[in-house]
Amino acid sequence: MGLSELLTTYGDVYLTALLTTWKMTAVSYVGAMVLALVVTVMRVSPIRPLRVVGDLYVQVFRNIPGVSLVIIIVYALPVLKVVLDYGPSVVIACVLLGSAFGSENFMSGINTIGVGQIEAARSLGMGFVQIQRQVVIPQALRSAVLPMTNLLIAVMLTTALGSQVPLSPNELTGAVSYINTRSTGGILAFAISALGYVLTAVVIGFVGNRIDKRVRIVR
Amino acid sequence: MSSHTDTMSMRDALFEAPGPRMRRNIRVGTAISLVLVAVALGLVVQRFYLTGQLAAKYWTFFGQASTWAFLGRGFLGTIQVALVAGVIALVLGLVLMLGRTSALRPVALVSRVVIDFFRGVPSLLLIYFFFLVVPQYGIKLSSFWMITLPVGLAASGVLAEVFRAGVNAVPRGQVEAAMSLGMSKHKITFKIVLPQAIRFVIPTLISQLVVVVKDTTVAYVVSYPDMLQNARVLITNYDALVSTYFVIAIIYILLNYLINKASVAVARKTGTKIISRTSTAAV
Repeated sequence: MGLSELLTTYGDVYLTALLTTWKMTAVSYVGAMVLALVVTVMRVSPIRPLRVVGDLYVQVFRNIPGVSLVIIIVYALPVLKVVLDYGPSVVIACVLLGSAFGSENFMSGINTIGVGQIEAARSLGMGFVQIQRQVVIPQALRSAVLPMTNLLIAVMLTTALGSQVPLSPNELTGAVSYINTRSTGGILAFAISALGYVLTAVVIGFVGNRIDKRVRIVR
Repeated sequence: MSSHTDTMSMRDALFEAPGPRMRRNIRVGTAISLVLVAVALGLVVQRFYLTGQLAAKYWTFFGQASTWAFLGRGFLGTIQVALVAGVIALVLGLVLMLGRTSALRPVALVSRVVIDFFRGVPSLLLIYFFFLVVPQYGIKLSSFWMITLPVGLAASGVLAEVFRAGVNAVPRGQVEAAMSLGMSKHKITFKIVLPQAIRFVIPTLISQLVVVVKDTTVAYVVSYPDMLQNARVLITNYDALVSTYFVIAIIYILLNYLINKASVAVARKTGTKIISRTSTAAV
C-alpha cells in the first residue's frame, strides 16, 4: 500500500487517532498533576498514616506494569461490580501511573531546596504557610519543570495502553493495529503513527527546555 | 530521586518542633486518618465479600505447588525476555551514544534521530510493528523475538542518553590531560572516559531494568508465555480472574520494587546518583 492510498483510505483514522492521543494525554496529565499534588501533600504532612499511605501509593503505582493495571481496571473491576467505560479506564490508569511519578518529581524538587533554607526562613520569623509559599513551592516548581516535561511525554506514551482495549475512536497505537488487521499497511502504516508520537514529543521537549532555561535556578 | 534519608530529614524540616496544641492536633489528625484508612480498606474488603470474590475456590489453588510451578515458568519467561532485551539495549544504547557523540556529523545526526525515535515512541507501537508489520515482509520471528526485540530497542534509546549523561560526568580535564599526553581519540574514549562513565551509570542501568520488566508484560500480544500470559491460562482453568490478577500485580510490584531498591543500594555503595531525567518511560 502506497502513502497516498494509505492516506486516502485511512487518513481520517490517523487524524482522529492523533487527536484522541492528544486529548487522552492532556486529560491524564492534568489528572495526574492534581493527584500528584494531593499525594505529595500527604507524604510531607506530619500525620503518620497519611505519609505511609502516600508512600505506599507511590511504590505501588511506580512499580505496577501499565498493562496489568489496565487489565485489572477493565476486566477485574467489573467482577467487583465497578464498571467503567474503556476510555475512562485507560485515562484512570494513566492518571494513577503518572501521579506516582509526578509525586516523586515533586518530592525531589522539595529535596533540592535544602534544610538550611527552611531553618534560615524560620529564624527570620516566617510561619509555616509563609515558608511554603515564599521558599519551598516556588523553588520546587522551578526545578520540577524538566522532570514534569519528561512526565508529559511519558504520559503520552502511556496512553498507548488504549490499544489493549476496544477503544472507539482508536488512539495512535490502536490505529496501527486496526489498519494492519484490515490491510497490509507495511512500514508506512506504522511510521505515520510513530511520527505522530515523535513529533509531539519533540515539540513538548523543546517547549519544556525553553521554560526550564528561563526559570531554572543555577546552583 | 534522592536517597530516603534525605527525604525524611527534608520532610521533617518543613515543620517546627510541634508545641502542645500542635501535638494535640497531630494526634487528632492521626486518629481521624487512621479511621479513614480503615474505612477505605473495609470498603474494599466489603466489595470483595459482596461479589463473592473472597470465596475459597478463588484462592485455594494458590496453595497448590502446581500453580506456583506454572507461574514460576512464566516468571522465568519474563526474566529471559527482560535479560536478553536488557543486553540488546545495553549494546545498542552504547553504540548509539558513541554515534551521537561522534565527530562525524552524519553519524551523529543519524544516531540522534534513532535515539529520539526510540524514546518518543511507545514500546507497544514497536511491539505491534514486530507483530503485525514485520511478518508482512515475509520475515518469520519466533514469539520470543517478537517481544524481546521491540522491548530492547525501546530501552536502547533511553540507555543511550543514560550513557551520555555518564560520559558528561567524567571531568573534562581528564580528557584534556590525555590529549596532551598524545593519546588517540579512540584510546581516550575506551581507556579513560567509558570505564568511568559506565561505572557512574550502573545504578541507573539497574533502575532502567524496571522499565524493561514492565514492557515484557505485553508478551501476551504475541502469545509468548511470560508470567502475565501464564496467569491468563490460570484464569481460564480456575475461573478466578480477580484473585489471579491481584496476585500477579503484587508479584510484579514486588519484583520492580526490589530492582529499585537494588539500584538505590548500589548507588549509595558506589557514591553515584541515579539519573532520572533521561527517562520518559512510565508504562
